[in-house]
Amino acid sequence: MTDNAFHFSGVGYSYGPARALDNIGFTVTSGEKLALLGANGSGKSTLLRMMDALCFPDGGTATACGMTLSATAFADEDTNFAFRRRVGLVFQNPDVQMFNPTVMDELAFGPLQLGWSTTEVRREIDNMLVRFNLTQLKDRPPHRLSGGEKKRVAIASVLICKPQILLLDEPTAALDPASKSDLVSFLSRELGEDRTVVTATHDLDIVEDISSRTIVLDRGSIAADGATLDIIHDTALLQRTHLVFPHHHSHPKAGPYGKSHSHIHEPPAKATPSFDFDHGAKD
Amino acid sequence: MGFLHGLDGVERHAREAEDASASAGFLQGLDPRIKLAGLLALVIAASLTRSLLTLALLFSAAVVLALVSGISPRRLARQAWLAVLLFTGALAIPALFLVPGDELARLPLLGWTVSSQGLRSAAFLLGRAETSATLAVLLVLTTPWPHVLKALSSLGVPVAIVAVLGMTYRYIFVLIRIAGEISEARRSRIMSRMNGKARRHLLFTTMAVLLGKSLALAQDIHLAMVARGFRGEVRLLHDFQTRPRDWTFLSAALLVPGLILGLRL
Repeated sequence: MTDNAFHFSGVGYSYGPARALDNIGFTVTSGEKLALLGANGSGKSTLLRMMDALCFPDGGTATACGMTLSATAFADEDTNFAFRRRVGLVFQNPDVQMFNPTVMDELAFGPLQLGWSTTEVRREIDNMLVRFNLTQLKDRPPHRLSGGEKKRVAIASVLICKPQILLLDEPTAALDPASKSDLVSFLSRELGEDRTVVTATHDLDIVEDISSRTIVLDRGSIAADGATLDIIHDTALLQRTHLVFPHHHSHPKAGPYGKSHSHIHEPPAKATPSFDFDHGAKD
Repeated sequence: MGFLHGLDGVERHAREAEDASASAGFLQGLDPRIKLAGLLALVIAASLTRSLLTLALLFSAAVVLALVSGISPRRLARQAWLAVLLFTGALAIPALFLVPGDELARLPLLGWTVSSQGLRSAAFLLGRAETSATLAVLLVLTTPWPHVLKALSSLGVPVAIVAVLGMTYRYIFVLIRIAGEISEARRSRIMSRMNGKARRHLLFTTMAVLLGKSLALAQDIHLAMVARGFRGEVRLLHDFQTRPRDWTFLSAALLVPGLILGLRL
């Protein structure tokens, strides 16, 4: 058994002629909270899918929990089964992930596929419904949920399988500020010390709350790998990787008509939210 | 505008059905598997009977079931009877004139004769279609769609088919929303009134874009299923419980085709 959740070395991946990942190398230890930071198109979603064995490297070597991430290895049912029990991915778009007719069926899907007994599945569903404040929504179809509710169900439907490694793809995408803040608070409280969590995001507001280490991706390559606090305060790096940029606007406080100027925003201060990440209307 | 209105209509219709199935009523209180089997037995009875009186009684029974389940005849007329009358009526009318038999009436000017056998054939066709459609609509309006799917699976319909039906229902709303957004986005950029050709072009390009998006969505959904352990076989959680009244309803429903066959009604 290895202490490394992931080990990537010289990994590459292409979509046809387009190179999505190039010479990616890093190690993630068990229990580590890692953020994959990058602008749109930087390759973080592809990397996350590769970490979940949904696509495989076309160059280099990659392992997860000691298992080689390759099409050959995952053709074996037992390897696939063992991997799915350990690793869970929450997709960016909850509509992609919520393919079952009701919230309860959504929660049941993973455990049933993993061969849990129905008694165990029912018990865990009840736990998750309470923990995620979803009890009143359990019979509701996904198209009658708000954006925040969908996100909650999507995360619950993965966490119910009790994965040792959780991969989150843009967990705060399309959430209003209050819902985002509540989700981050929930994640930082509920995910625990032991679980390895890798979060792909371009949202600088949340990185400090959800990770201690950050890898910055830029056009398919690693631009930086270090402590989150160091990374998010490295303005030159963030600017170079298109995560912040100088822009021109007016501040009303400067006077009745504002005073136009160019500057770079620093990452905002942390909020202290409560757990109810749904403030919006149905989307 | 009509396109958007149509999309809204689909969603509204589905919501109304979901609300009706969640309300209190006789059929709503039955185990979905029993209800499905019982209503299916009544549909089979309607297609087996050779008596218009029996068919009329079956239709009346369907209306009574609707009433005790809080479904108004007005709603049944809107969602089943009128459409069936229109389409089946169009098929039944030729039978009035084409089936040979005793002359019952003659159309003025055209001179076509209506035979009593033709009238009976048309009445059977229409009666069977109306009764079956009423029972089918009752099932949909008194049972949440996920329960219909699980009931189908319980009664031996392959899980793959049930899963496809479930996902179709699930993603039709996602695609409707996308189609609505595409349509609105285009309308917001159209400055003048469009002629028929331009409107058709818009419709076809929207369909093409929607098809492309639905294919991409399907690929992502498959990945999401694989990520949660899907290996080609869908497993469902069944949580139905039967009670004595379920078995009473099923016995009564199964008795009807039995009597029709046994007594040649």
